Parts: sequence; C-alpha cells; structure tokens
Amino acid sequence: MYNDEFIYYNSLPYQSSNPNMMNDGNQLSNKQNNYLDYKGSKTPSLYNPYEGLIRGNMFKNLYSPYFKEEPFPLNPKNNQERELYNLMAYGFAVTDLNLYLDTHPNDREMISLFNKYQNEYNKLVSEYESKYGPIELSSKTLNTYPWSWNKSAWPWEGNK
Amino acid sequence: MWKYVKRLEYPIDIKKKDLRMAKLLLEQLGGANGELAASLRYLVQRFSMPDDIGRALLSDIGSEELGHCEMIATMAYQLMKDATIDEIKKAGLDDYYAAFGKGIFPVNASGVPFTATYINSLGDVIADVQEDMAAEQKARAVYENLMNLTDDQDVVSVLSFLRQREVVHFERFKELFEHYKNMGY
Repeated sequence: MYNDEFIYYNSLPYQSSNPNMMNDGNQLSNKQNNYLDYKGSKTPSLYNPYEGLIRGNMFKNLYSPYFKEEPFPLNPKNNQERELYNLMAYGFAVTDLNLYLDTHPNDREMISLFNKYQNEYNKLVSEYESKYGPIELSSKTLNTYPWSWNKSAWPWEGNK
Repeated sequence: MWKYVKRLEYPIDIKKKDLRMAKLLLEQLGGANGELAASLRYLVQRFSMPDDIGRALLSDIGSEELGHCEMIATMAYQLMKDATIDEIKKAGLDDYYAAFGKGIFPVNASGVPFTATYINSLGDVIADVQEDMAAEQKARAVYENLMNLTDDQDVVSVLSFLRQREVVHFERFKELFEHYKNMGY
C-alpha cells in the first residue's frame, strides 16, 4: 500500500517534525507532532481551477496521471457549455480545497483561497442561471411561473 | 441533509454508442470497488469517527462519491441510449436487457447486483480508515483497467478524471490515518 508513487511525504506538513512517524511505536508521547497543530508550513502549490478540473486534481504535488501525461482539454461547443465548464472549474476547486482543509484546518492561506473560489463559483452560477435556468435550488431564478426547476437541462441529457 | 445540484462534477458528452463499454463501466457503479460502495462506506463509517476531522472528511468524500455515481450512470446511459435490439444482442448485453431493459441498475460488469457486503463499518477507526485507503487504491486500479479497454477519448477523459480523484482521496485518508495514529489510536 505504501507505494512511493502515491506518497508525497515531502509535501506534508508533519514530515519535517517527525520523519519516522510511520514507524514510531510511541505515538502517545508525540502529541506535539500532531500535524494538525502545525503553524507556518508551506501551503502546497495549486493548479488554477481550469487546469485542476481537467486533471481531476488541484494539487501539483499529488498529480499522478496514468499512461498519458497531458490532461484532456475541454472543448465547449457553444457559449452555454463554455460558461458551464467555467463554473464547474470553480466548483471543482472548492470541492478539492474543501477536502484538503478537512485535514489541514490551520492553513490560513488555503482558507482564504477557498473563500475566493467559493465567491467566484457563486457569481458564475448566478450568471449561468440567469441565462440558462436553475442548477441549484437556492437559485433566484426559481421565482417564476410556471415552475422552472424542471426546465433546465438534466446533466445526463447534455445541453438543451 | 443533501441538496441536488443539477450539473455533473466534470463534463460528460459521449457521442459514440458503445454497449460493450456501457456494460463494463457498470463495474464502477454496482461493483465491489465502485462509487456506490464508496459513498455508502464513507457515509455510514463517519458516525463512529472519533473527531471532527474524520467526521468532516468522510462526509465530504462520501458526498463527492455520490456525484461520481451520477457520472458513471451518465456514461452508461449515453453509451447505450440509442441502441437497437440487434446491437444489444451483438454486444452481449441481452442478459442485462432481459432483466433491466435500458434502465440503469447497479450491477457489476458481470451483471451481479450491488450488495452491502462489499463494504464494512466496524466502529473501529483504524480498521475503517485503512479500509478506506485500500478502497481508493482498488478503485484507482479498476479505473486503469477500464481505461485500457477503450479508445474513445470522450470516455477515457472522464475515467481519467475519476481515477485522479481516487489518488487525491487516498492521500486525504492517509493523512487522516496518520492523524489518528498520532493521537494514539
């Protein structure tokens, strides 16, 4: 399981404090090395949201492709798809940073980036919904008659 | 509580029907290492995580995996929606068709229906998080098998995205595991 290909100890904040942690039988005495307490560790280097979305990974140190180094570019067929892919990119950045922050709750820089991407995502969703219909139930565009939730395209059907 | 968001996590637009691939992809919906098993596993295990780090991570990864079930189902749907009966017979999908028509049902690539025995939830943090780490690696390996079985870029790009998510999830579970080891579990 501890295949080097999928382990990036050097990037992890707890590495410097206790390099032998995996083999350390005396865990209870090492509470001070709990990586959740780390301060001032380096925030990992990220792709931008689009580059992250096409890789399925925002974190440069974790990117590990299979048989093909270059990611697959997205080719939107029209403006609607372009705008949809753009909000997907920010939505993806929010998802991946969320998981990182769950295990690195003290990374101030990443918290601020998470909020920046979250705001941008919300803005892009509102713009998209005002043109193409709702994708979230919190949408302001649902204040219409007749009910418009069922009008916008279903994800598995592609764009209408 | 969950809210449905009416979009996919990553775009899927498959233009070429491929019934054989649709059948194989169902492995990652209803198979032992598929997305349904993953989401169910994390969303039940989280109740016995000892702190907020584990509860948060299992809730958030479990939720993302629900979105991956939708992605696999979307691919299977798009690959077989325009199929004729002749094509279904030729592709060896007639046994699936006999039982489910063109419906999306959680089975593995051999047609065996999904079962909760694919997962575990022991209330033991080390056993559970180790299972989660192994599950992510097994799902990654299955995505590689599937990527070897098709040349369609519309399919490979999505599989590549999903495979990479397993790599990231594994890393987060490993961090969680080391966090709990450090706490003395």
